[in-house]
Parts: sequence; structure tokens; C-alpha cells
Amino acid sequence: MKVLAIILAGGRGERLYPLTRDRAKPAVPFGGIYRIIDFTLSNCINSEIRHIYALTQYKSISLHRHIQLGWSILSAPLGEFIEVIPAQQRIDEQWYQGTADAILQNIYTLQEERPDAVLILSGDHIYKMDYRKMIAFHLEREAELTVAAIRMEHKQSREFGVIEVDPNWQILGFQEKPEEPKTIPGDPEGILASMGVYVFNTEILVRRLLEDARSDSDHDFGKNIIPEMIRKNRVFAFDFRQGDQGGTGYWRDVGTIDAYFETTMDLISVIPQFNLYDPQWPILTYQCPYPPAKTVHAEEARVGTAINSIISNGCIISGGSVKRSVLSPRVRVHSHAEVEDSILFEGVDVGRSAKIRKAIIDKEVHVPEGMTIGYDLDGDAKRFTVTSSGIVVIPKWIKL
Amino acid sequence: MQTGDRSKKKGTKEIGLVYFGGTRKRVVFSQEITDNRTMKEKILIVEDEESLRLFYEEELKAEGYEILSARNGREAIQQLETTKPNLIILDIVMPVMDGMEALGRILRKGRKIPIILNTSYSAYREDFMSWAADAYVTKSSDLTELKKKIRDLLQKGKVR
Repeated sequence: MKVLAIILAGGRGERLYPLTRDRAKPAVPFGGIYRIIDFTLSNCINSEIRHIYALTQYKSISLHRHIQLGWSILSAPLGEFIEVIPAQQRIDEQWYQGTADAILQNIYTLQEERPDAVLILSGDHIYKMDYRKMIAFHLEREAELTVAAIRMEHKQSREFGVIEVDPNWQILGFQEKPEEPKTIPGDPEGILASMGVYVFNTEILVRRLLEDARSDSDHDFGKNIIPEMIRKNRVFAFDFRQGDQGGTGYWRDVGTIDAYFETTMDLISVIPQFNLYDPQWPILTYQCPYPPAKTVHAEEARVGTAINSIISNGCIISGGSVKRSVLSPRVRVHSHAEVEDSILFEGVDVGRSAKIRKAIIDKEVHVPEGMTIGYDLDGDAKRFTVTSSGIVVIPKWIKL
Repeated sequence: MQTGDRSKKKGTKEIGLVYFGGTRKRVVFSQEITDNRTMKEKILIVEDEESLRLFYEEELKAEGYEILSARNGREAIQQLETTKPNLIILDIVMPVMDGMEALGRILRKGRKIPIILNTSYSAYREDFMSWAADAYVTKSSDLTELKKKIRDLLQKGKVR
């Protein structure tokens, strides 16, 4: 069984602005050393899928560089690859019109590979899933399309594509972001949400894409391809719990700054919902070989400390204090500075006596001596993005 | 030899030789056609080989269609900017822009127009993009099959 994975990595992530000002959503840093796409790529590798394309479109340089640096780990002589394909405009001089169009525009790539099945993934999500179990289910049910589904609360229906199944998990209906969703049989509070993870038989996929291309359509999997296929083909839902590595049911679309913040902060809890430390399911990424993190100074009035925090390589906490925060590589926290409940990206420098609370600071920002961020939200909001829950976001490279 | 349906014709005249896959064949081109239709249906023929293009043109005019022609995919795409044929007959192996590439682009520009792929090579059926076409007809001096497909597809278009 030859499976080709195609990761849709073109998401603009507008609601993550300004973190997506300079990069596509899958390239947004996460959890200190990772980028969001690392979780999907790690799922592929851990599921022994070694034929992977990532389709990019907007602001793709950062993602391209990350994959080139961190993911050149497969064996080309064995025919394995992780390759980034930017929008090539081979079929049309237009950007991708929708998720289905993104695949259609790469039909020649699909043809060269001629896989038996195509695993379509989103590069935007954080979860651990063994795709082999989904593919086995797909084969066992003799499905033509299988859609991964996760249980969500009824009230969240307007955020998801909602799947209606029969007792054998054959899909009967699909509603895109419905007000009145079809609930799970025997579970009136629960709905099955599409995770944007699909297994298609290649021939069916190609035929449906071409049909869709010739019709009035948004050329979108959720809106067009799947509803049409439910009418015509054998389409099944795969219960995420059957493939969830770790068994916590954890799956997040970090679509907003608030969701991003909460998801990151979960990582520093004593027993996080999302375990980065599972040797059975390593999360791979690119790491520059920086020296180990260190804390220095332990005088009476000047102690370098980090408590309940993730501190990446190359960081120096030099006489300042860090609490409940996630620090990417090469962050410096100088004497008497305080960092609390914050996420600092690579290369951030916190000057002496500066105070930072509930903030996300993007790469290479130098916080001057004595400056405060997150203590006067009205003042911060005049210069920066401040979310309704009071998170201050400072964009990359900005001069403070 | 005869080519296709002759019933509507008043007279015919032999005017040329056409090559099919290297084999020279004598064909009868038809002329002087009576056309009873008020609105002629337009067919765009995309074919790089001139003698073959003329042959198709004559034959299909004889069937009562109005004919547009293009020598390659790019010309076809350009034509679609200004005209709206009811059907396209598309060769695959052509210079400048081949039929497969043109097919991909037509999916966007005139995507509802029925397309017949017309080639000497049946191997292109393996090509994913060829599945976007409404019909696949292997080139032959006998246009019976092609003409039938044209009629069927135009009929289907009216029903639709």
C-alpha cells in the first residue's frame, strides 16, 4: 500500500496576527523550540509515512527554511522525501482557490507518485495521531474516503465541519459550521467534528477533483468534495480515539492568539494534556546547536531563577526571574527583570529591571531597561495588539 | 472511402490526402452543405497538423457546425477569451502548449464547455488530467465515432 501524505500548509492564520505577519500559520513557533507544522510532520514520521509534500502559498520562506533545515532527515536513495511545493501556477495563473483546488493544481505531482491512497493533512493542528490506524480502518471498511473525527461539545458546532454517522461509522451527512448540528447517536451533547484529516483512494480523489473543477464550487473539501462524495461514494468516519497517541483526546487548532496562548501554557503544567516527553512519539524539529540554557547570579538581591517554565537552549537567565513562561532559544533575561505568564520567541532580550506579564513577544525584540509590558493594557493597546483576554502581542523585530 | 454520415450532403468532392500516424490515407472532403439550422453550434478544433485541421473543419462544417480553429493550446486559450464555442476538440501532442496543459487551463476559463480529447495515442488515458475530458477519441480517418460523441455531448449540454 503506497500512501502519499499531502500537508496543506498555506494557511494565512489571520486571527494569529501579528504572529503571522511574516510567516504562514504552520511556521508559527510553538512550545519553545517547535513550529506548528512539526506536530503533523512528526505524526507522519512516527506513522512510518515517508512520502510527504507540504503545499505552501503565502509567506512561505520561513516554513521552507525550517523544513529544509530540520526535516532533511529522510533517505532520498530509498525514494523517501519531505518536500515543500510552493504554488506553481502550473494549471492556472491564480492562487489556490480552496483546499481542493490546492490538490488539483498539483495533480501532476500526484501522477508522478501514483500512490494507492492520499492522506491529506492540515499543517495547522497540534495533536498526536497514528495515521496507520486510520489507513487500516479505511482498507478494512473498503472506504473510498475516510474522514478523521473527534468528539466536541454540541455548543462548538459553529467552529467545525460536523459529521453524521450510522452505527458502522459510515457518514450520512456533513454540515459545515452548522447552528443546529446532528449529534452523536446516544450522546446528545456530543458532535463529531472533522479534523481536516482525510484518506482518499487516489483515483476517486482525482476524478472528484476534476469534476469539482468543472462545476460552480468553492473548490473546498469541507464545503464541496466531501458532501458530494457522501452522496456518491463509500465515505466513513474514523474515530480519533482509535488513533490518538497518548489517549488524551488532545487536538487543537491554535487559530487565535488566545487559543495559542492557552495551548502553550498547558505545556508548562505539571502533567500537561499534551506530552512532549513521550519517547514512543518523538516530536522532531530543527534545533540550532546552541549551548545549554543556564541561570546565573545568586546574590541576596539578584537571583537568576526560572520556575514552572520551559527554557530552551541558548537562554541565559542572568539575575532576573522567569515564572510560568515559555522561552524559545537564545532569550536573555537580565538582572532584576521579571517575566511572568509570557511566551518569548527566539532572540528576545529583556533588559535590566524590565517587567513583562501575560505577553507574547516575537523574535529578536529587545525590551529596554526598565520597560513594563502587560501592566498598563490601555497604554500597551496604543502600540500593540492586545486581545480581549488581556494578552499583549509584540511583533517581530520591532524597536521599543 | 467514406467518412461519416453523408445523408445531409448534396455533393462531395475529393480534395486531399491526410496522414494518420504515418499512414497516408485518401479521404473524401465534403462540400456544399445544406444547413437548416438557424443557430449553428460552434466547435473549436485545436490541432497543429494543418491538413488534419482542414479535414475536420470540412467534415464538421458538412455536419452543420460552425468551426473555429486553433493551432495549439495557447491559441485555443486565447480564443476562449473572446469566443464561446459549444464544444472543443483537443489534440494532445502539439507545439507551444500541448493539449493536456490546455485542458487544465480550460477547466477554469470555459469549464462548462464539453471537451473531446483527440489523439493518436491511447496511452494518454493514463494521464490523470485526461480524466477531465468528456470523451477520449483516438484519431482515425473514420470520423464516425468523433461525430457521434460530438452529437451526444451537445445533446447532453442542451438537456443539462
